[in-house]
Amino acid sequence: MAAGRLTARSDADLIEASKRGDLSAFEEIYAAHAGRMKSIAFHLLADRADAEDAVQEAFLKIYRAAGAIQFDSGLAPWIYRILLNCCYDTGRKRKRQAESPLPAEPPAIPHNVPLQLAIRTALGRIHPQYRTVFWLFEVEGFRHSEVAAILEIPEGTSKKWLFEAKRELKRLLTECRA
Amino acid sequence: MTFDCKDLERALAIPELLPDAREHAKVCDACRRELWLWNEMSTVAPGLREEWETPELWPKIRQTLAAQQKAAKRYSFNKRFDWRLLTGIAAALAIAVSVFIVTYSRPSATPAAAQDSDFLTEQTLKEVEQTEAAYRASIDKLSRLVQPKLNVSENPDAVAAREKLMVLDAEIVNVRSTVAHNKFNAQLQAGLAVLYRDKQDTLKEILQHAQSSQ
Repeated sequence: MAAGRLTARSDADLIEASKRGDLSAFEEIYAAHAGRMKSIAFHLLADRADAEDAVQEAFLKIYRAAGAIQFDSGLAPWIYRILLNCCYDTGRKRKRQAESPLPAEPPAIPHNVPLQLAIRTALGRIHPQYRTVFWLFEVEGFRHSEVAAILEIPEGTSKKWLFEAKRELKRLLTECRA
Repeated sequence: MTFDCKDLERALAIPELLPDAREHAKVCDACRRELWLWNEMSTVAPGLREEWETPELWPKIRQTLAAQQKAAKRYSFNKRFDWRLLTGIAAALAIAVSVFIVTYSRPSATPAAAQDSDFLTEQTLKEVEQTEAAYRASIDKLSRLVQPKLNVSENPDAVAAREKLMVLDAEIVNVRSTVAHNKFNAQLQAGLAVLYRDKQDTLKEILQHAQSSQ
């Protein structure tokens, strides 16, 4: 997990304080998670302004819903689940607002580019569920148990989807480099 | 177990088979490349993370949350208080303040009297208290006469009058408790008198209205 991750105890304390209207406690939650949230939102929305909007919306929802949080699986999965929903909403809104429909076909993977860039492009060509698990596990560093809690899927499914994601990526990268 | 190229995919899915896959990759270029790519994806993936500064984001969120908190407080205040009641209280207070201003902005007869304008003497206080007690008793009597008529009517005027009386009673209780701690303050005593007078006038109006509609 990231260095800024909070312990379950302090998460509970911060949420309790936030429920009482303590915005400085809520700012600590923001400080611990906002960076990673922006990265995930950017990955899903491919636009910084949209990503920031989604993160802002997510924090407003988190604050409003703080009273309902269950600490069974910790604060982080709950926060990121809200974020993903906000990103999906923002994505849907953006699609509706777009004057011309977004291109359905993702760009082709260029030859002779650094592997990192090739992976970024290839990610756009794999199944969205596999892509999300790959991103959360490999890029953002969540454990399978956390990915499972965020996406509300069994841990075994998280492992299976990661494998499928990597297999698809390997196939695409091998094809483009052949 | 004899590891073959076709076993590679299975080995990637089952970590226990990976040592065999690595052994095989030492002598197989194709599998070595695939294995390298498989591991390299995990190595370079964290570099895909997007990071940028957004110093304006938290202030925006904080500002929105603060505004929402304020609105929520206002909403709960609105829920707790009937605005008509508050308007009535405000009106009663405005009348009281106006009377104080009119009464005490008049020039005093003598400079010495002006110095004592806010504070009554013991004797005057006694008179005021006696008068107030008698006045209050009269108003209570009038109130007892009017109340049965008022309680049964759902006429909008009667409802409004009931509300006004509620406001006045609440304000009278409030001012009386203040007076109890500051008996010599002439302004408070005058304010209390204004509230009594207002209550008396309201009761009179209700009574007249009831008599005329019979």
